[in-house]
Amino acid sequence: MTLIKKILLFLKRESKLFYSNIVDLFSNILFFFLSIFVFVFSLGADQELLRTIGLGIIWSLLLLSSTLSLRKFYEDDFNNGVLTIIHMGGISYELIVFLKILSHFFFVQMPFLASIPIASLFFDLPVNEVYNLIFTFIIGSLILSCLSSISASMNLLNKTNFAIGSIVVLLFSIPVIIFSVGINNPDINVNSLINLLIGIALIFLGISPWSSAAFIKLALRNK
Amino acid sequence: MFNFLINPNKFNKFADVIFKPLIVITSLTIIVGLLLVYLSPLDYQQGLTVKIMYIHVPSAWLALLTYAIMTIYSVIGLAFKTPFSFIINKAIAPIGAVFTILCLLSGSMWGKPMWGTWWVWDARLTSVAILLVIYVIIIFLNYTFESREVREKTIAIFILIGSINLPIIKFSVDWWNTLHQPASISKLSSPSIDISMLQPLLVMTVAFSLVGLIIAILRIKAEILMRKNYL
Repeated sequence: MTLIKKILLFLKRESKLFYSNIVDLFSNILFFFLSIFVFVFSLGADQELLRTIGLGIIWSLLLLSSTLSLRKFYEDDFNNGVLTIIHMGGISYELIVFLKILSHFFFVQMPFLASIPIASLFFDLPVNEVYNLIFTFIIGSLILSCLSSISASMNLLNKTNFAIGSIVVLLFSIPVIIFSVGINNPDINVNSLINLLIGIALIFLGISPWSSAAFIKLALRNK
Repeated sequence: MFNFLINPNKFNKFADVIFKPLIVITSLTIIVGLLLVYLSPLDYQQGLTVKIMYIHVPSAWLALLTYAIMTIYSVIGLAFKTPFSFIINKAIAPIGAVFTILCLLSGSMWGKPMWGTWWVWDARLTSVAILLVIYVIIIFLNYTFESREVREKTIAIFILIGSINLPIIKFSVDWWNTLHQPASISKLSSPSIDISMLQPLLVMTVAFSLVGLIIAILRIKAEILMRKNYL
């Protein structure tokens, strides 16, 4: 069996798992919308105010709701031994992590993309801001997938301190937030910000397979 | 020759030899440094508040230096599986956290009279605050996992990931337009600070690092003893 066929089979398995678990994703999106409602109710329905701060709120709530299903990233595969079986099939842990990140990006983060235009309707955002938001979210969500992979693999054996996984994601996502929300600042050159975001994405795409695989190997040795 | 940097027994012996002279030198340096700070001239714009610099700058440097040391030891520990690296990581993380807190506190006390605010969201301040969060996470991770091997290696890998922040802190004042001034001393060219202020600053830096070294030696020795008892 060639490597490409193995990779395709892996992605097929991920998609099957995703469709059997689709209610989880819908719950995340529901959480996202409900938290927008909570924000709007707590700030008051001032149209001008909401328009100025809408982008930041949408980004931070997207971030928070993507940390909700964090623990499911590797936990099931780790507990029932699928990770070891896939590794025995001839895929290195680094490649497994990379494929997991890609499938998380396509199957979990991309559905959020559909909810962004609806969410920006609630805040009455201008059209070019919505375009910017969607564009930065495509790059930023890739970074978020990498961060989720790092923190989920870090906490595989963590039985006591559950919050630290979300803390790690929030911590390293600060540059993403800064550059993604800063794109609407008229003084800043848009191209340079996008280049910076792509640069951060490439850095994390390089770091996360190595570090996640190291965490997974460590956890498997001490299971 | 430098075996005491990776071997616990040799470290213990070396620390026993240098500990008492170290205390004497440290107290002398602190006294001389404080005297020099007392005698140093006032700034023509900032007045007396410039003397906060002699606390603020050394603690900021040492916060960064502590993290750099932890990064180097994490690389060594992951590559060569030396247990002493993980002892160091556990022992000096709180020291770095305290230096970072000291830097942030003195900085905000300096910022209130000079900038008119305790805190601004500029790149240098934010990145140092992130450094503090990273230190706190490292300390928390020390109490999280059940198995010791998992704990140590997880912390080491996390330190390596978090070391991305170090160059960001260093170059944040050059990359962005910040309220915080750019570096006066660590340029390759001659320092842009007057010699009468540079001397007390350097002496205070040496004093701070010696104090940090003494606390680090005590903590490392305690950690070695604890592990000997448990194993």
